[in-house]
Amino acid sequence: MTQLLRFISVRFVTALVTLFMVSFIVFGLMELVPGNCAERYVAYKSTQGGGTITAADIRAEEQRMGLDRPFLVRWISWSYDIVAHGYLGESCLKRISVNQILKDKIWISFGICFAALFIAYMIAVPLGMLSSTIRNSSMDSSLRFISYLGLALPDFLVALIVMLIGTVYFGETLTGLFSAEYRDAVWSMAKLGDFLSHAWFPAFILGWSSTALQLQTVRALMSDEIEKLYVTAARARGISGAKLFFRYPARHALGPLVNSIGFDLNRIFNGLPIVATVLVLSEAGYVLLEALAISNDQQVAGAIIFLLTVAIVSLNFASDILLAVLDPRIRLGVT
Amino acid sequence: MSDVTLETLAETKKKEAYFTASQYELVWARFKKNRSALVAGSILLFFVLIGVFAEFVAPYEPTKAGFDRSYLNGPPQLPQFWDENGFSIRPFVHTYKQQRDKNFHLFFNVDRSLEKRRYVQFFVKGWEYKLIDTNIDLPGDALDFRLTFLSMDRHLFGVDKGKIHLFGSDRQKKDLFSRVVFAIRISLSIGAIGVFIAFVLALTIGGIAGYYGGWLDRIIQMFTDAVRVVPTIPLFMAMAAFVPPEWSSEARFFFISMILGLVGWPTLARRIRTHILAERTQDYILASQLCGAKAPHIIRRHLLPSFTSYIIVDLVISFPYMVLSETALSFVGLGLKDPVNSLGVLLQNVTDVDIMLNYQWYFIPLPIFVVIVMAFVFVGDGLRDAADPYSEKK
Repeated sequence: MTQLLRFISVRFVTALVTLFMVSFIVFGLMELVPGNCAERYVAYKSTQGGGTITAADIRAEEQRMGLDRPFLVRWISWSYDIVAHGYLGESCLKRISVNQILKDKIWISFGICFAALFIAYMIAVPLGMLSSTIRNSSMDSSLRFISYLGLALPDFLVALIVMLIGTVYFGETLTGLFSAEYRDAVWSMAKLGDFLSHAWFPAFILGWSSTALQLQTVRALMSDEIEKLYVTAARARGISGAKLFFRYPARHALGPLVNSIGFDLNRIFNGLPIVATVLVLSEAGYVLLEALAISNDQQVAGAIIFLLTVAIVSLNFASDILLAVLDPRIRLGVT
Repeated sequence: MSDVTLETLAETKKKEAYFTASQYELVWARFKKNRSALVAGSILLFFVLIGVFAEFVAPYEPTKAGFDRSYLNGPPQLPQFWDENGFSIRPFVHTYKQQRDKNFHLFFNVDRSLEKRRYVQFFVKGWEYKLIDTNIDLPGDALDFRLTFLSMDRHLFGVDKGKIHLFGSDRQKKDLFSRVVFAIRISLSIGAIGVFIAFVLALTIGGIAGYYGGWLDRIIQMFTDAVRVVPTIPLFMAMAAFVPPEWSSEARFFFISMILGLVGWPTLARRIRTHILAERTQDYILASQLCGAKAPHIIRRHLLPSFTSYIIVDLVISFPYMVLSETALSFVGLGLKDPVNSLGVLLQNVTDVDIMLNYQWYFIPLPIFVVIVMAFVFVGDGLRDAADPYSEKK
């Protein structure tokens, strides 16, 4: 038990250090982009209300935003606000907090990404395990082909193809996350139901690359494990069929898979903003694209990237612990 | 001499060739056995050649709008050998004429008559281009220079009268085939530059971490891991979004490939570090250290050559990720922009319902992208197997 606690605390500290570095990287990158927040705000104001921009205006705005402080001080206060108050800073263009801009949009985005992850594993694990019982080379090569397709046909292209087919043959585009009548309604059971009935499709597409890649991984892991001696020994003891399959090789084969969940979430986050534009998911990932591309708001962009990374790091942490609970060998690995 | 000795002589020769073969000969011999990788390799070579000789392959200038005045959103014209008027050895296309119906909708009237056939010809004269055209435009007048020679105006194919549009034309009446040809060049070269930058960074960072080890390695590893968890495409988007709109398309091109490289190094760096970490405890390194060689010398002369083949494999494998990221960025309008053609730029407008319903040839770049990335992945996989000396013993 103490071993497990020790393991958890080591991992926790590692995760915190990682997040600390990520916050530095993200904040630093947002600092590197041409133009600062004050310039952007003043420029935005002048397009709204007219008037000319003077250097003094920008200077005053910089002072108000605290941009005249050195970089390290601003980074520390930004990080401190996030840790202590969960406050993500103020938007560059609109004088409201980033939290208010993201609000439930980021939760819907996260929700759909985790749904995508869930669907991907629900498809890849059973199918991969099933395929490992069929042992021939044509199965090998076709699964390998599918896993390559997961890379060569990224999810936004799948979305495009499905949309094309849907539009040409069925006259329906399969876009959006809500029916028209629920779009602006408050959350209720009916809205949730409507959301779920629409969300499965984008979720499946978001998870497509992960599904394709994991399918082959599961098969390879299972095939390796089935050949091992303990499985033969178990068979010699008279265990057979599903009992043999699930109690022996399956348990060990799925361990490494738990480790890759974080990578898959990363992959899904990569697909999200682009799939969201194709499928017009204005409630989910589109807010990303809007903040990143259209409004040029570095505060919002930095906050979003940081939040996405927090989700990945937390998932990695959780999956590490899950693995350690399941497999005592892992616990011993950390000293 | 009897037959038996001849046979053994040939066998010894074969064995000798095997044992004295250089590493690259061995890798090549193993790679040749992998049929799918070989096919993928030739497909890849085909696309690279198209990219290199884009001006020659493309029948029309890709950036020139309205090249064919009467062909707006025109469908692809496939060369054919026969129609109801009979067979022809030389392939031909029909003449398309744009007309408006009574609702003023544009439609194409295909003139299938014998005298209106447009026959395909090879090595025809077209727009002039330079085989070598280097234009360096750096800030400051003193550094500008333009190097051009070997002017040509021959193109791979064309038709005897009118124009041919293999992949149709777009809403600016540009020839889609020519655009695709140039897009292949841009997409491949942006990937190459991105991979190169990532490679230099990875070599430096991974090399330092692997060679010195210890606390330096630990800190660099933590940093690398931190960069690795940040989702790359949102990060690309965030950085690309701040490119000032007044930048020229060349500046945009270099900036985009630079950020691709700046964000893409961690995986490569990790692998290089692992290689070096494994090699540096070997005796020959110790010997060299005892002779008084400095660290950069050892890394360059002894460590790098020991795993060059692995590095090449890693580079090939990381190439499609670069191409993919560029396509994704350009697709949402954050990467390259219109006058420059890349596969992502060509796919920019296809979500339009009008295009989906009426002009499906806008989707032609999509399968081409898939084939290119597929070819890369197969070649990379084949090379990885070939570079691994233990893959034979099975």
